[in-house]
This record gives sequence, C-alpha cells and structure tokens, in this order.
Amino acid sequence: MPENIDLSGIQQMAVQNTAVNSQNTAVVKPMKITITLPTNAYFVSGIRDFTLGLIRNMTEFSEQWAFRFQSVVDELCNNAIEHGSSPGEEIKITFINNPHESIEIIVQDSGTGKSKISATELDRLVKERTNPSYVHTGIRGRGLSKIVFEWTDALEFMDLPEGGLQVRIKKFLKDPQLEIEMSKVLESPAHLVLQ
Amino acid sequence: MTEANITIEDIPVTAGDLHAKLVKFQGQLDESNVDEKAKSIYQLIEQFPANLYLLFDFEELEYMNSKSIGYLTDWYGKISEGNGKIVIAKTRSNILDILQVVGLTQLINCYATLDEAKFALLQQGGEA
Repeated sequence: MPENIDLSGIQQMAVQNTAVNSQNTAVVKPMKITITLPTNAYFVSGIRDFTLGLIRNMTEFSEQWAFRFQSVVDELCNNAIEHGSSPGEEIKITFINNPHESIEIIVQDSGTGKSKISATELDRLVKERTNPSYVHTGIRGRGLSKIVFEWTDALEFMDLPEGGLQVRIKKFLKDPQLEIEMSKVLESPAHLVLQ
Repeated sequence: MTEANITIEDIPVTAGDLHAKLVKFQGQLDESNVDEKAKSIYQLIEQFPANLYLLFDFEELEYMNSKSIGYLTDWYGKISEGNGKIVIAKTRSNILDILQVVGLTQLINCYATLDEAKFALLQQGGEA
C-alpha cells in the first residue's frame, strides 16, 4: 500500500462524527473522508485497500459489497487518471457514509487529460453502453457501464467550474425501489398484488 | 506496480494436435500491470493459434479490473476462433461476482475444482 494512505484515522473519525442533539441523544452525522492521489495507477491499489477497510469497518454493507465498492472505486479512479488528468496532476476521491442509509463516492479529475470528455458526452456514452442490445467488443469500456452502473443506485456526471469532471455514485443500504413498493403495500393492504 | 504473476504449465493430453495448458494467476491484475501480464497469454495464442485449451486457475487471483476482463474476453474470442477452449477453476467469490456482472460467465464456464475444470476442458476437446 502506498505510504501516504493511512487507515488508522478511520475509527477516530467515526468517533468524531457522533454528536449530541438538543434532546441529549446521540446523532451519527455523515462521515466524510477525502483523499487526494497523484495521477499514477500505482497508487490506486492503496485506494482499493482503503475502500475495502472503510466499507467493512465503517458501514453496514456486507462483505460482498465491500469488494464491489473496491471495484467501483478502482474503475472510477482509473478513468479519472487515464482520461481526465495528465501526468503530474491529482485526482480527488471523497467517501461520504450516511449511517443506516447510504454511501456516496465522488471522484474528481483535473480536466487536463488527453481524452477529456464532458459530463454530457459521458452520460450519453453510458446510456449507449448500458442498452441491453449493446455488445462490448473491445478491451476497454466495461468499467463504467457494467461494473459501476450495475453496482450503484445513482451515477451522475458533472463538469466542474475549474475544468475537471466529477463522477458521483450513491448506493443505498436498502433498495429504494423495494422501500417504495413496501410502503405502497402498507398504504393499501387490501390491494396486495404479487408480481 | 501491483504484484501479479501468471505461470503456465503443460497439461498432458493424448491427442497430438491439442495443446492444453494450466495457467495459474496470482495476485492482483489491475491498471498498473495487466497490459504487461497479458502479453504471456498472447504469446501462447501466437504459438498455438489452433486447438489451444486453457485452464485458468484463479485460486490465488485476488483482484481483477475491467481491463483484465476485457483481455479475458479477447483471449476467449481468439482461442475460440482457433477451435480452442478456455475454462476457469477455483475462482474467489469476489472475482466470480465481477465475472458475473460483466456477463463473462455466460461465455466461459467456471468450476469449483481443478479436476472438474480439467474434465470439462478435455471432454470438450474430445479427450475424455
């Protein structure tokens, strides 16, 4: 693991994120960790290890999801390094854990890469590649459209004012669609439709 | 560079025109090393363009990224064109998960043990 990534602070940050509200009950606030990495693929293995540790120790996601987020983060970082940033620049990775609810991961590139792409273009590309009739033929192109898209509930692209691109993913602890369906059932228990 | 190794051994077969190899993967295949590591498989395909039967042992493979999967798909295409086969054995659950999400398990069969994989490989190759 690269030396500049220190996992020991995770536990301490969780403690700091526990506050007390006006009713004197503990409220766990979202935990936010931001890491800046040089644009070198060597450092991404450290972020994979960090992601695995973070998900295992600081969230309620299962072991399977810890490995899945490891892949999601790896793919986002590789894209940010390869397409969005030139050598010698930096990318920024932010983890936001919303306890009992969701995790968000945001990856920002510097916008100085040779094959820089806009948020609109990337959105169009992902839509095209996630179409069931699309056939992946090359070596590349499965990271965003298969791994990241399939394993997240929200995937958003945004052009940054400084010129970079931001990719933000969100995964809920519970399937939001399932929650909606369940609430419908409770609202109208006489009209339960099994599909 | 992240550590990864690919070692290749012969699998003894009786059919003279069939080339069967056990390919062991170790470590993590990622952006920092996969282009370099993939060369050994391409060399094998170049050496045996027809009837190449590969058993990939993934027991010690800890991680693979989307580009590694892209290479796996490419090898599958090239080897199939030459009437060869690929099977995978002893895959860790996280690797199997990623192979499933990209749809690769629909192309390449995965087996729990080396014996099962070898049997399936050579049966397909007309050996069994």
